[in-house]
Amino acid sequence: MMAPFFKFGLFGDNLGMVVAFAVGIGFGFFLERAGFGNARKLAAQFYFTDLRVFKVMFTAIVTAMLGVYYLSVFGFMDLSLVYLTPTFLAPQMVGGLILGMGFVVGGYCPGTACVGVATGRIDALVLFIGIFVGIFGFSELFPLVSGFYNATPMGQLTLPQVTRLPYGFIVFAVVLMALGGFAGAEWVEKRMAARKVEA
Amino acid sequence: MGDFIKKLSLNGRLAVVAFALGFLALFAGTPYHGADATVNTKELALTMATYADQVGVSTLADWIIQGKADFRVVDLRSEQAYAEYHLPPAENIPVAGLGQSSLMHNEKIVLYAEDGTRAAQAWMLLKAKGYKGVYILRGGLDAWKDSILFPRIPGNPTPAQVVEFARAREVSKFFGGTPQALAGDSTAVPQAAMPKLAMPASPAAGGPGAPKKKKKEGC
Repeated sequence: MMAPFFKFGLFGDNLGMVVAFAVGIGFGFFLERAGFGNARKLAAQFYFTDLRVFKVMFTAIVTAMLGVYYLSVFGFMDLSLVYLTPTFLAPQMVGGLILGMGFVVGGYCPGTACVGVATGRIDALVLFIGIFVGIFGFSELFPLVSGFYNATPMGQLTLPQVTRLPYGFIVFAVVLMALGGFAGAEWVEKRMAARKVEA
Repeated sequence: MGDFIKKLSLNGRLAVVAFALGFLALFAGTPYHGADATVNTKELALTMATYADQVGVSTLADWIIQGKADFRVVDLRSEQAYAEYHLPPAENIPVAGLGQSSLMHNEKIVLYAEDGTRAAQAWMLLKAKGYKGVYILRGGLDAWKDSILFPRIPGNPTPAQVVEFARAREVSKFFGGTPQALAGDSTAVPQAAMPKLAMPASPAAGGPGAPKKKKKEGC
């Protein structure tokens, strides 16, 4: 049995919906258990007092990367069939900036807003409604921004392609980056906690 | 070493595992297994333009009858269709399995499916993967049925056609087919049944002189 299961026809569109539902429930559950339903905890990372978002997300990235890499190396999945979002450099930089600002101001990103709504938080509900207002507004204005939306297309890019470095090297570099990031995050959190005590 | 690990927290141990797996990745190679390829489009276009990418059904039939063994015939259809009927020397490799097949880059490979389309697609895939001697069976299994298994002769044949049909009839018999003799009105002739799979599978052993000698396929 080879992964990705959908591409190899293990299930079709209908069962794919069920699988997506189950995966989504799992994703939401672990976001909630990591404390991501709480806007204060989420926003705390921008003040360097609680870097759990950084740590959880980077842990997920490293775990998924190592898993996918070794499954592919040992022939249990075909990495070339995994969908990659195409890169549009300029619009994605602008979009990232807007999302980041919204994250700081609102205290949620879209996924964690859903988690917050599920646990009945009013602030998350307001942001959740805001997401749909934004989607509607963007869709109505799409003809005006479609030029920029499709600007600087670079196709489906991966770090090994861009850097022309061996795949395994990138894997090791990302692991080192994550471990360094975790150590740095712990150090920053301790410093901020000490400063808080002093103040 | 044991003490070092015992002293570590759970997070520390996970970090050690991640580091070890990351370090091993340096030597574990690429995960893509050659899914990407580049093709020389000019070379391929030239091959197509000169029909150097194709083998006719009668040529292939001759090779089989002569007992040639320097080529492999690949049936790209489904397992089920393959089980019902396939060319005597053919092996079944569905298109999705071409990447993992045992085909060698230096072999002469003849591809066929029902008609030419699927074979042409597979031809392109194999060419992109760097296979040199890949050929499409012109007209596919349809042409094989029409010209080899069930050859016809027109109502008022010329002497040349009669000679040609006599030869075609022998070839047809060799492959267990049914020559459609002197069918002035082709609609009157019902489509003959496909030959049973127990055909002269080993042409070297059977030879044109002994078309009746049958051997079970697959051994």
